[in-house]
Amino acid sequence: MSDSAFLSLEKLTLAYGDTVAVKDLDLSIQKGELVAFLGPSGCGKTTTMRSIAGLLKPKSGRIRLEGADITHVSANKRSVGLVFQSYALFPHLTVFENVAFGLRLKGISGAELEVRVVSGLNSVGLTKFANRKPAELSGGQQQRVALARSMVMEPKVLLLDEPLSNLDARLRLEMRTELQRVQRDTGVTMIFVTHDQGEALSLADRIVVMLNGAIEQIGTPEDIYNSPASAFVADFVGFENIFPIENGRLRAGNGPIELAGPLPHDAAGLAWRPRMLTLGSGPFQGTVRGASFSGSAREYLLDTPFGTLKAEVDAALPAHCAGAALAFDLPIEKAAKLKRFN
Amino acid sequence: MNPRLFSATVLFLVAAFLIGPFIIIVAASLSAGETLAFPPQGFSLKWVAKVFEVESFRESFAMSMLLAVGGTAAALTLGIPASYALSRYHLPFGEAVRTVVALPIIVPGIIVGLALLRYLVVPFNFNITLALFLAHTALVLPYSVRVVSASLNNLRSDIEEAAVLLGSSRAGAFFRVVMPNIRSGILAAFILGFVTSFNQVPVSLFLSGPGVRTLPIDMLSYMEITYDPSVAALSALLAFMSIGIVFLAERFLGFSRYV
Amino acid sequence: MFHSRAEALALALPAAVFAAVIFLAPVVILLSEGLRNADSWTISAYTGFLSDPLNRTVFLRTLKLGAMVTALAAVIGYAAAFAIVNLPAKGKGRMIGLVVLPLMISPVARTYAWIVILGRTGIVNQALTSIGLTDEPVRFLFTETAVFVGLLQLFLPLMILALISALENMPKDAIPAARVLGANWFQVFSRVILPLTREGLVIGGTLVFTGSLTAYITPAILGGSKILMLETLLYQRVTVANDFVSASVIAFILIVMSFAANLLLKRLATARSKR
Ligand SMILES: Nc1ncnc2c1ncn2[C@@H]1O[C@H](COP(=O)(O)OP(=O)(O)OP(=O)(O)O)[C@@H](O)[C@H]1O
Ligand SMILES: [Mg+2]
Repeated sequence: MSDSAFLSLEKLTLAYGDTVAVKDLDLSIQKGELVAFLGPSGCGKTTTMRSIAGLLKPKSGRIRLEGADITHVSANKRSVGLVFQSYALFPHLTVFENVAFGLRLKGISGAELEVRVVSGLNSVGLTKFANRKPAELSGGQQQRVALARSMVMEPKVLLLDEPLSNLDARLRLEMRTELQRVQRDTGVTMIFVTHDQGEALSLADRIVVMLNGAIEQIGTPEDIYNSPASAFVADFVGFENIFPIENGRLRAGNGPIELAGPLPHDAAGLAWRPRMLTLGSGPFQGTVRGASFSGSAREYLLDTPFGTLKAEVDAALPAHCAGAALAFDLPIEKAAKLKRFN
Repeated sequence: MNPRLFSATVLFLVAAFLIGPFIIIVAASLSAGETLAFPPQGFSLKWVAKVFEVESFRESFAMSMLLAVGGTAAALTLGIPASYALSRYHLPFGEAVRTVVALPIIVPGIIVGLALLRYLVVPFNFNITLALFLAHTALVLPYSVRVVSASLNNLRSDIEEAAVLLGSSRAGAFFRVVMPNIRSGILAAFILGFVTSFNQVPVSLFLSGPGVRTLPIDMLSYMEITYDPSVAALSALLAFMSIGIVFLAERFLGFSRYV
Repeated sequence: MFHSRAEALALALPAAVFAAVIFLAPVVILLSEGLRNADSWTISAYTGFLSDPLNRTVFLRTLKLGAMVTALAAVIGYAAAFAIVNLPAKGKGRMIGLVVLPLMISPVARTYAWIVILGRTGIVNQALTSIGLTDEPVRFLFTETAVFVGLLQLFLPLMILALISALENMPKDAIPAARVLGANWFQVFSRVILPLTREGLVIGGTLVFTGSLTAYITPAILGGSKILMLETLLYQRVTVANDFVSASVIAFILIVMSFAANLLLKRLATARSKR
């Protein structure tokens, strides 16, 4: 663990009864960082967040915040905020009272309360709705109330569980910007959960990719996008053509692939994005099975001796029809080198 | 037969069967005659007035009120925490608890009354009023657990976690965000419990003694002596009381949703 | 969810212990009394009870009335619930209110009304004499018919309400779909409505049947000592003869029948709906 870690999870194991949901998780986060948890459904993202918030006691391991061990500090004393996936607004209270809830418990009242609540509502653009009940708001507005409710508490860490998943495309973009702005303005350390790689790549300082209750890879968006550590991550971030290296040779489902150059000796597999294939020249032959046009690019499905590959070229190039024979290459120097193949 | 006509006929007959007796009771109680009859012989309020003059009615009414209000309040005091535990925790032996608490609905009340008389009141010289109170509490308990559980299950549980994360204690979260949201469920449970207890006969049959008698039991024994219309008048008054309570609650509950 | 066992137990135990001590324990002791003779366990009380023809009559009458009331309540209940469900919203609300209303009124009051209706000088007899059907008033009170009518009036609302909610949960298009496929009304009922509302019928049936089995007020007022049912018999045995052994036997029979009705109907519902 680096000394500068603001929040660190050490060998954290989380379980519901006897089912272990997260195993031996190590993670450290710097102050002011915006971290994304990315992974398929059921991989333990929510579980990890709940334990950081103090809603789930770890089976073993430790959580530190600013160096202090908070593993056994109860949820109401942690200064960790959580925006629930379902918002969890209090249905019997107005928007104003929802946001004021935590402040009142801190003993804040009168003019100061008013000022802080209003500025909280202002920052999410909901001042007009202060006197409405949650049921009278749209999904996006409810989400913003939930955000304001957590933000006015000025938590040390703000956790957001799929904060954008229930919004339509336009509002989603708006809220992305909104989240970034809040984070920049306040410098709060933020962790958010998402299913969506695009969201993680565009928002986060660092991405934690999770699989089956463990971390698969941690890295900056560039790291994750360009140098996935495993076949799973590669697949998750859009590499379509992924092959393992076995006994020093690249292997397709039905046999070895003989590439022009030597294979990197420390890789367990290689992966190419559709864009990375060379089409029209090269040592291999394929047949076009299907083609699709997406405006700026053309995508081809190729039947090849290595199975079906996906290739993408600039739309300006002439089109090939289904059934056409095409030469192609898998250039070694462009491939992502996978450290693990799973 | 035309389906609409058939429907209308069915509805008319069913309504007459269900409500007719009640209307007849009201009419009979306004009779000026000395015996129970319908149509009533003339009009007078003398039987209604008599209800208030019969001392035993006054006493047993007070007793029934006490049991219904106190017993229901006690049942809710026990039932709300139990419902909360059943719906929000992984309760060890949860099914067993659920069953034990629900039993009084399945086991006939007369048996409960008899058992309490025989093994509590007689051997320990236990106070009968207190025994009645306990019996009515047990009787109402299943209803209170059922209704309160239903409203707890309709309420998402993450708002309690949200309250805790905003600095509330667990108990504080319950009183600040759970209670206000199940208020109408609790009120509904109270009304159901009150009506059940107030109208209950079998449980109280054996649990009566000198000066200790619930109103319905008192009415039954009054009927054995005379068929004068005062019991009809009392029945009508009680019916109006029940209707009034339910009507007010409906207004109140319906109203509270918009406040 | 929260995981503290201690908290959970602290919240749930008071109610459970209360019900166990005030309710379960005395009832269990009462039941055991019917199985004891001096110091040994025996079922002689049960054989003795059932060998008395009066007791057998009462037992069978209770079962018979329960079954008949449930059956008729189901028939009327379906007709009424179907009519109510098809009313426009406002009328529907009113009709449901009208069905609920009697449930709030004291059963003593509701049963008492039948004395006015069925008595020697009651409306029915007045009507019969005035149209010349009889010269002498017909005896209705203290007959099985009176008890039957009283029970039906008492418990019909429960059946109607259960069937209303079952019918409302039925897919809207099921009936028109069956009609389009050529089903007549009888087939629509037996092949579509009945299977789809079975659960509601079971719930309503259980409530009506156990309610009738364990009724006290109706047989007490409308049956008197002529038409005893199990609960009035129990009361009589205790108050007249101080016979707690018979009381224990009757209690056992009542409890077993209540539970059996609950279980049987529950099983019936799940078995059928699995097909
Ligand atoms: N209350 C619970 N009891 C038992 N197991 C649970 C519970 N909640 C979650 N799990 C299990 O723990 C694992 C991790 O769940 P978690 O909710 O953390 O996944 P997630 O990554 O948030 O998924 P999603 O993207 O679908 O929200 C899953 O296998 C899930 O089935
Ligand atoms: Mg989740």
